[in-house]
Amino acid sequence: MQWLEDHWQGVAALVLMGAGVWWMMPRRTEWPKAIGMILALVGAFLLASRIRAAEGPVGETILFSVFATSAITCAILMITNRNPVYSALWFALVTLSVCGLFWLQFAHFLAAATVIVYAGAIVVTFVFVIMLAQQSGATIYDQRSRQPFLATVTAFLLLGALLATLRSSTSDDFHVAAQQTPAAATNLLSRPTENTPIDADTMKGLGRSLFGDYLFAVELAGMVLLIATIGAIAIAPRRSRGTL
Amino acid sequence: MTGDIERFLAVGAALFVLGALGFFTRRNLIVMVLSAELMLHGVSLTLVTFGRVHNSFEGQAFTIFILTVAACEAGLGLSLVLALYQKSKTLDIDFWTELREPDLPSPRVQEEAAQRAYVEASPAQYPRLTPAGRVPDLAHERDPRLVDSARSQTAESPLQPPLVKEVIKSVSH
Repeated sequence: MQWLEDHWQGVAALVLMGAGVWWMMPRRTEWPKAIGMILALVGAFLLASRIRAAEGPVGETILFSVFATSAITCAILMITNRNPVYSALWFALVTLSVCGLFWLQFAHFLAAATVIVYAGAIVVTFVFVIMLAQQSGATIYDQRSRQPFLATVTAFLLLGALLATLRSSTSDDFHVAAQQTPAAATNLLSRPTENTPIDADTMKGLGRSLFGDYLFAVELAGMVLLIATIGAIAIAPRRSRGTL
Repeated sequence: MTGDIERFLAVGAALFVLGALGFFTRRNLIVMVLSAELMLHGVSLTLVTFGRVHNSFEGQAFTIFILTVAACEAGLGLSLVLALYQKSKTLDIDFWTELREPDLPSPRVQEEAAQRAYVEASPAQYPRLTPAGRVPDLAHERDPRLVDSARSQTAESPLQPPLVKEVIKSVSH
């Protein structure tokens, strides 16, 4: 009970956000989505206000707020939309927002690669498959969700646990960098460098890490891509066995 | 810098949880695969943030591998979805609940337990174009009935209004 008195604001914010998401779930009678979205966003902002404030420059904070808000909003809209095409398009927007967050963390190459791979390839593949497999328009299984209440409670319990762990962590937990040495230095091509600040020379450092420390893993990843391509061609239905 | 780290971790956690929620609740196979990709986004964001904490590039390198595996997963998963769709003509995950353990209860949504889950009902219709003119002769080669139905809709044959008049006449008598 003491715990509840200490943390009632966080619990209330979680409940608010969960209620908003639950409100927007597809169900038999369509409820106005704006109410659920407002509830979820208010809950999300209350949750965000409980996280320790950043001490960075103002512009970065504003950019972070924009990207984070759009990521979470589009994610909520993605999982609650009744039309899978719109879900795929909201997912593209989530991807762009996450790329913005990557950008803010000096992962420029990663942001570009994610835009190319996700928004350029994966979302397009999804839209193609929806076009092939769902030609009859709206269907009953998109209008109903399975156990929306229990699933929402479970998911937001998980979110509460994660955020509570995050909140209970001290700033010392995040300062382990100095004495760490790079792992995976057994490769011949790897040069165990002293830890340079990550904000500088991103491309060079990432390339050295990928093709030095993780060279064999990169080769394996290429092999996995090849196998997945062959497997997808083998699994996908042939036209001779009936068109889609 | 600490709050800087924590807020990125919080967004990553929220994205993961929302993806898991979508995976739990949605019944469309394609949307379930999309939700799994959303969970991967949350994990990628967390990895990049932790890489920044440790001041190394390993987080970003791992995220590039996640990107690779996500591309493979989307390709393989969607071809599996297409194969399943070809067998069942539906994207409903409830169609495949027979694969569960025999002593488990059915996970189907209660309100549809009576009817077959894959019976297609279309509560909302997409708009259709109004038919204009007559059906081209191309249809005649395939199905002569189409031409007949098209002829019946032309101005030669009387349509609804006379019938309605007759009905009104008969009722008034």
